[in-house]
Amino acid sequence: MTMGSHDQPIRFDQSAEREGDVIAHTSARKRRGRERPRITLNLTAMIDVTFLLLVYFIVATEFKIGEEVFQIDLPPRLQSDRERDPFRLDEHPLRISVQSTPASAGGTGYRLAIEGPFTQPATFEELYVLLRDQQIGPDSMRGLFEVNHPIIIQPGGATRWDHVIGALNAIKRARYTNINFAKPQ
Amino acid sequence: MSAVYKRGRAELAANFTPMIDVAFLLIVFFVLVSRVVDMENVQIALPAPHPSATTTIIGEERIVINVRAVGERAAGYQVGPRLFLPDDAGCAALTEHMAALYRANPSVSVNVRADAAIRYDDIEPLLQAVSLGALRAELGDFVPRINLVVNKAEETR
Repeated sequence: MTMGSHDQPIRFDQSAEREGDVIAHTSARKRRGRERPRITLNLTAMIDVTFLLLVYFIVATEFKIGEEVFQIDLPPRLQSDRERDPFRLDEHPLRISVQSTPASAGGTGYRLAIEGPFTQPATFEELYVLLRDQQIGPDSMRGLFEVNHPIIIQPGGATRWDHVIGALNAIKRARYTNINFAKPQ
Repeated sequence: MSAVYKRGRAELAANFTPMIDVAFLLIVFFVLVSRVVDMENVQIALPAPHPSATTTIIGEERIVINVRAVGERAAGYQVGPRLFLPDDAGCAALTEHMAALYRANPSVSVNVRADAAIRYDDIEPLLQAVSLGALRAELGDFVPRINLVVNKAEETR
């Protein structure tokens, strides 16, 4: 006689052992005609909570327009004058002025000005076309500016931020890479 | 009578343990997460140029600076839970704060979310403060980067 897994006494069937068959054993509980209790997981509550969460997220989720960025590298001011190459000539930056104007006259609400002998652009689209046409590229050598030519955006103090961003966007669309902001005029 | 019926009938009972577990996990999650998200994604009317030459940044480590508007002036520069006023003292404190953040993580990007209506003379001190903060952190050859955040304009069809 040995002990079972649940400390139930197991009685070997003496007759089966004698005949060389499979040893059969029955627990005391089974012999009394009693089923073992089945262990089950109650999922109802968890499913309730899951659906509540689903409803919460469907109701509370706010669909926003995606945000994107203009990347601007801050100028490397760590380089002191004595570390700079004395034979290096700085390129004269192209300055683009942006001023906000009263929009009541039915205009664009801003005024652009660009240094140099160019037709002054009235809109950001015209600024983009001008800068694109003046760029030295693999297909065109008629332009004046390399892609990395320094460009400085010169907004007025009262210039709205979206007008500054509009000018930046026109320059970025023309694929210029060296862009900085000046102090307000 | 058998031993089963001596104990009485089996009782039906709801198992509240998993529900309470999930509920507490959710509470902890929302307490931790919602605070950060609210501070980074403040409701701001961002510029939306169209067509835009913007880029999408995914998975970059960043510091978000929100610039809320009161009319056409900036109410302050919000970096996480801290608010810096747009005056000389506020900009000086912001510069020191940015220097500390750059020292902790030199490769971090700075996202500037500013209201479209704000005047440039309230934005430029912020750009100066970030630039000076990077300078004071002495990042060596590393060039710090500012991301100017705009709304992605919907394509016209």
